Amino acid sequence: MKILYSQIKDLIPGLKAGPKAVGEALTLTGFMMDGFSEVKFNNRRDYLLSFEVRQNRGDCLAVWGLAREVAAYYGLKAKLPRVKKITPDDGPLNIKIEAKKFVKRVVAIKLAGLKNGQSPAWLKEYLALNGLNSVNLLVDLSNYVMFLTGYPSHLIDYDKLNGGLAWSLNHYFTEVTTLFGATARLKQDNEIIIRDQKNIIALAGLVGGRAAEIDETTKTIIAEAAIYDRRIIRRNSRQLGIVTEASHRLEKELDPHGAAAAMELLVSLVEKHTGGQVASQIFDYYPVKYVSPAIEFDPESPSRYAGIEIKSDQAIKILERLDFKIKKSDGKLLAAPPTYRQDLGLNEDLVEEIIRIYGYDKIPAGEAPKLPVVREITPKNIILAGKARDILTALGFDEILSWPLCQSGDNDLVNYQNWKTISAQNSINELYPDLRQSLAAGLLVQLNEYHKKNVEFIKIFEIGKIFGQKKGRYLEHESLGLLSATKNKSLKDFKNYLETLLRSIGFSDLKYFIPASKPKAANPDSCWEIRAREIPVGLIYKLIPGENKLNVYFAEINLNLITAELKSLNNNPAVELTRKLISLDANIELAKSEFIYKYLETLEKRFDKKNLWSLSVADVYPLGDKTRYTIRAVYQELSDQEAKKIHLAVFNLT
Amino acid sequence: MPENKMKNLLDELKQALSSAQATADTKAIWRRYLGDKGSIKLALKEIKNLPLAEKRVKAPLLKRFYQEALNLFKAKENSLKNNQLQHELGSGSEELQFNLPKIGHLHPITRTIREINRLFTGLGFSLMDGPEIEEDEYCFQRLNVPPDHPARDMQDSIYIKKPNFLLRTQTSSIEARVLAAYPPPFKIVSPGRVYRNENVNKSNHFIFHQYQAVVVLKEVSLKDMFGVFNLLLKKLYGQEMAIRYRNKYYPEVEPGAGVDLECFNCHGAGCAICKGVGWIEVGGAGIIHPKVLAAAKIDPKKWMGFAFGLGLDRLVMAKYNITDIRTLLGGNLGYKYYQNENFIQSN
Repeated sequence: MKILYSQIKDLIPGLKAGPKAVGEALTLTGFMMDGFSEVKFNNRRDYLLSFEVRQNRGDCLAVWGLAREVAAYYGLKAKLPRVKKITPDDGPLNIKIEAKKFVKRVVAIKLAGLKNGQSPAWLKEYLALNGLNSVNLLVDLSNYVMFLTGYPSHLIDYDKLNGGLAWSLNHYFTEVTTLFGATARLKQDNEIIIRDQKNIIALAGLVGGRAAEIDETTKTIIAEAAIYDRRIIRRNSRQLGIVTEASHRLEKELDPHGAAAAMELLVSLVEKHTGGQVASQIFDYYPVKYVSPAIEFDPESPSRYAGIEIKSDQAIKILERLDFKIKKSDGKLLAAPPTYRQDLGLNEDLVEEIIRIYGYDKIPAGEAPKLPVVREITPKNIILAGKARDILTALGFDEILSWPLCQSGDNDLVNYQNWKTISAQNSINELYPDLRQSLAAGLLVQLNEYHKKNVEFIKIFEIGKIFGQKKGRYLEHESLGLLSATKNKSLKDFKNYLETLLRSIGFSDLKYFIPASKPKAANPDSCWEIRAREIPVGLIYKLIPGENKLNVYFAEINLNLITAELKSLNNNPAVELTRKLISLDANIELAKSEFIYKYLETLEKRFDKKNLWSLSVADVYPLGDKTRYTIRAVYQELSDQEAKKIHLAVFNLT
Repeated sequence: MPENKMKNLLDELKQALSSAQATADTKAIWRRYLGDKGSIKLALKEIKNLPLAEKRVKAPLLKRFYQEALNLFKAKENSLKNNQLQHELGSGSEELQFNLPKIGHLHPITRTIREINRLFTGLGFSLMDGPEIEEDEYCFQRLNVPPDHPARDMQDSIYIKKPNFLLRTQTSSIEARVLAAYPPPFKIVSPGRVYRNENVNKSNHFIFHQYQAVVVLKEVSLKDMFGVFNLLLKKLYGQEMAIRYRNKYYPEVEPGAGVDLECFNCHGAGCAICKGVGWIEVGGAGIIHPKVLAAAKIDPKKWMGFAFGLGLDRLVMAKYNITDIRTLLGGNLGYKYYQNENFIQSN
């Protein structure tokens, strides 16, 4: 919303503050100044101030509204121009309100004997400062009134009408050509329209139609200002893709009371500049008069919310400066906001009003907060992810972050889970519609970028969400992906990184199985499911060589799963060593089809854990259809004889 | 003559040591000459068989020979050990330099998040995260933004399935989740990734990062909130940075606040970067709206809270001299092989 400093100055007698100070005052009170420039208006030096109006306050998308705010901040009174009441003529207007559910008020009047034409220079200049092109005098005056008061009005060329006007839900038309020349396709039963017996005259609250548009030959008009249920204006605006200065205002709360004053200003300006006269009675549809609520006000609450003392009488004065009516009833303080403040209804709303005018700058910000100690509720997966980052960087991996949305087809290559792809319905970035199902997608993009840029020694990881759909439910979990591109042709070294990571965080029980499903990108002979404590927690594989001819290895771990597993894991690796460790070997032979880890698993159960320091494979020797393994058992807290006795018994060597 | 025998043995030892190539050879030499059954050791033991007078004269001489033999052996052994160590280490400092192992790096966003986390965990805050595919209820409705509310236009959403499932547009959705899941009191911070339906270019991205704080206690005030926010901004931007708090509308808070830093370019005078106003907005904050607490079945008469958030991407870009926001997620971010961030300064 733009205002000229001269307008504020004219509306607030006694205002001493300069343009910048006015801008800062409005900024402090909730309307951030997002533009400030010196301009020339009506042959005089002036300042154009631009403000963001985020609040549900149609009243402040207007010069008058912002002037009221400035006046309240400085403790002054805004004097809005007095406009003479309309003197109605005979003859009712033929208007019907059919869409009663959505129309709060319609004020309309006929003016005749007009002489339309070009606008005066000051008006053209003013509209240009507000980003609007001049159309003709009548249209420009309507826009001018909108900028001053916040109320959009609409002018209809009376001589182009076919019968009376009606505000209806659209049951009749499939399209309309707007004043801007664009054709809008309509969804019947959804839009509120202003129509005559033949045409759509306007999409109510959005834009006028071509059928009865004002041109320079227009002699007689119907001027209307209407207030609607703001929700339908917003819905229609979004559905039809039509956003205008009018819709912008009407989708916020606008006080129906003010529509009459805006119409009076418009009529007076039209009469003054075009020589026309009122030629009908005033049509005023206003079935439910808005009454401001009396909000129960706790005068202690502003101090409590601000953290500094704001005395009750100061608080009440601020409310009065904001045009609230204050009264006491049954020992309670009741504050009724002005009708143009329909955004207020709670004590907290009043607190904000008081503190914003009192001044946020008066609340000290430099004091260290005294907040009480409360319980720690950090989820363990966040702690685990932090630890994993530290371990992986110590192992020489670089962290990257990639897009969680990927190109169509990327998931087909890297997915290995039993879930469907989730796609965005309305992403502007159409090339990236799918949510990633594996971190491999982003890590491979990064690999290719690094390869293109001659980056060597590529070891990268990412921790982030992956997504999928199962039985109609949207699923996501935190995942850890690591990728390495090396000259090394074996998965073994890469596996060691993964194991260092998993062992460091507490898993010593790791195994590798042939997975139920292998991603297409994986070399099928070199792809393993990772199990920790028998739970499948991820996948490790070598990629099918691509154009870059690199040996690329990838592993992915479900961090949420391993967090859950770790929660129930009770490891204590710390022991008191009072004797030498005793290392003893034993050779065993297994058929080639047998898995050594299964043998070790059975073997481990034969030991008393408190005497076993470690169990490992010290050597492997192929023997035709068998393999010989040298198993090394290291014993703790035993004498040589005791260790030997156990060793012989466990390995059946007696 | 035992001394002659000893002298000959010493010469023999010198010969053997001079031809020794490795520490393994010296072990054999030790056994042959100096071990318990070694010839020099046995020759020394012969002292006890000498007559007393001769023993007095020759014992010191033989012990000297023995000591010399030990010294020669140790000198050779040390020299061989040294050679072996040199061999194992490589031939010089140049080779050591080129064999430095690769250093891993954390992403600048992670580093910055950790830096901020450290401040907040020190103040007793917990860390929190939430889903990125979010329900309309948690992204908007529980935050006092009902359907058709104008505030929805502030954030253009990417929908997974209209109207109920979308990618979270703000980390405030985590606030809604935490309010629903944890009984107060609590103090949490939640760094996270958010999504808006915007075109990607040098200065805008449809994926970016926010940092959110939520506190629910028996009583809080704007002064408490400004105090916490000030600590954060002074830590990030330095003690001298001017900070401004002003009223700002956010549907989920009341009263709400916008938080600005004095423009780093013009220092408040007004320039093109700050659009002439002298300040640059960095975050939003406020006392949690009673409707938001009530939506989570937290009694607003018993509990109060504050929440604030700020964007991380521009902060990271300024800190790491990154000029294109796409670098943060797009593949152009590299790390120098030999160099890591100064640990002392970054911690």
